[in-house]
Amino acid sequence: MTMHDDLDAVLKPVEQARGLPNAHYVSDEMFAEEREAVLFSSWAGLTFGKEIPVPGDALPIDFMGMPLLALRDRKGQVRVFQNTCRHRGMILVEKKRNIGGVIRCPYHSWCYALTGELKATPHVGGPGQNVHETIRRAELGLIEIASHVWRDVVFVNVSGTAPPFEVYAAEAIRLWGDYEGRPVVAGGPESAFTFDVACNWKLAVENYCESYHLPWVHPGLNSYSRLEDHYNIEAPGAFSGQGTLVYRPMIAADGRRFPDYEGLPEKWREGAEYIALYPNVLLGVHRDQSFAIILEPRGKERTVEHVQIYYADDSVAGDDWADMRAENARLWHTVFAEDVFVVEGMQKGRHGVHFDGGKFSPVMDGPTHCFHRWVAERVSAAS
Amino acid sequence: MPDRLATLDRELLAAHAAGDMPALVRLYAEAAEACEAEGQSDAAGFYRTHAYVFALALGDARAGALHAKLKADGREQ
Repeated sequence: MTMHDDLDAVLKPVEQARGLPNAHYVSDEMFAEEREAVLFSSWAGLTFGKEIPVPGDALPIDFMGMPLLALRDRKGQVRVFQNTCRHRGMILVEKKRNIGGVIRCPYHSWCYALTGELKATPHVGGPGQNVHETIRRAELGLIEIASHVWRDVVFVNVSGTAPPFEVYAAEAIRLWGDYEGRPVVAGGPESAFTFDVACNWKLAVENYCESYHLPWVHPGLNSYSRLEDHYNIEAPGAFSGQGTLVYRPMIAADGRRFPDYEGLPEKWREGAEYIALYPNVLLGVHRDQSFAIILEPRGKERTVEHVQIYYADDSVAGDDWADMRAENARLWHTVFAEDVFVVEGMQKGRHGVHFDGGKFSPVMDGPTHCFHRWVAERVSAAS
Repeated sequence: MPDRLATLDRELLAAHAAGDMPALVRLYAEAAEACEAEGQSDAAGFYRTHAYVFALALGDARAGALHAKLKADGREQ
């Protein structure tokens, strides 16, 4: 039996299914295969738009070994390029910075506009001669990677083969239509933090999208958010997660609350939802705040979780709200930190050679199986 | 003029060492003018190309005139 034969068990209905085999968590070969079949061929989260807030801001990112450059062009549009000069393959930008003019390759000074066009090829026809008949600049612009910003997350489709983001994520956009087009205001520095965890990135998805573990791993939530107050969210082939019926906004000692999004339907008064938009973006929305977590796979057994909290109104980014933002970030940090031992423990457990992928609860583990099935389908289709 | 070029050479090395891009634009443009005055058109094109590239990288308005001159000389498109 080959590795891919095992996926047949994953593709069965949740009642009969097994989880993804160990190889998907501990094998170099499978990590490389999933890079192409799961992360590069879909719309993966790369970074946050707030990391490159003004025109000219450029952020080099090593995305699973692929050198990318996220930048904001002069018109304010976020673009992502392969961070590689078309001449000799030199890395173009090594550190985050603002580019006042063009992107100049540090090797032979070929220059590219922030829209990718090749603007200058100094001495390419000999000293002081900057043109040559074989150097057609129109054909030698930077390789642009398909990108799209939604809820401030910069998504990329490295392979260029996925449908447009609006199609790919249509169900998620529709699910949260009440929030579509509303401001997502990044809090201050306290509202961004990371966890460097010793697990495969998929385990962070799997843990995030089910509520089964909440009373055991997050006992502090029990007082107001009991297991029966949660419901599963499953959109096969797209996303899965959970919702709660008892969200309570944070209230400061002086009675202040973060401002709500105005005019939301009644559902959101005490409702909140949390979805994993496949492959690697974890999102949460509430009436007064939201967050996004980008899972950066650093290796088969290492993931960096980039957390960013957002608010509904520009005013919340100001100093007047700094104390409340800090307290809110502390609360979320506590919750997310409680999950670390779980995802790292599941990673360790997957070195047990007799583990068979695990048995799902048909009632509680549907969102996790939904994700496993999506991964299995993509890996099967690519092989 | 050779003395001026020698001085410029030292100033250019200092500007490179300091990463002073506005100065590099100015000094390379000046070197180009100096060479042109001596009838050294290829050397002028070389220096002007450098001035142009650093002006482009900076987003410096001097890039426009430098490009126009290079293009007029058949060195740029």
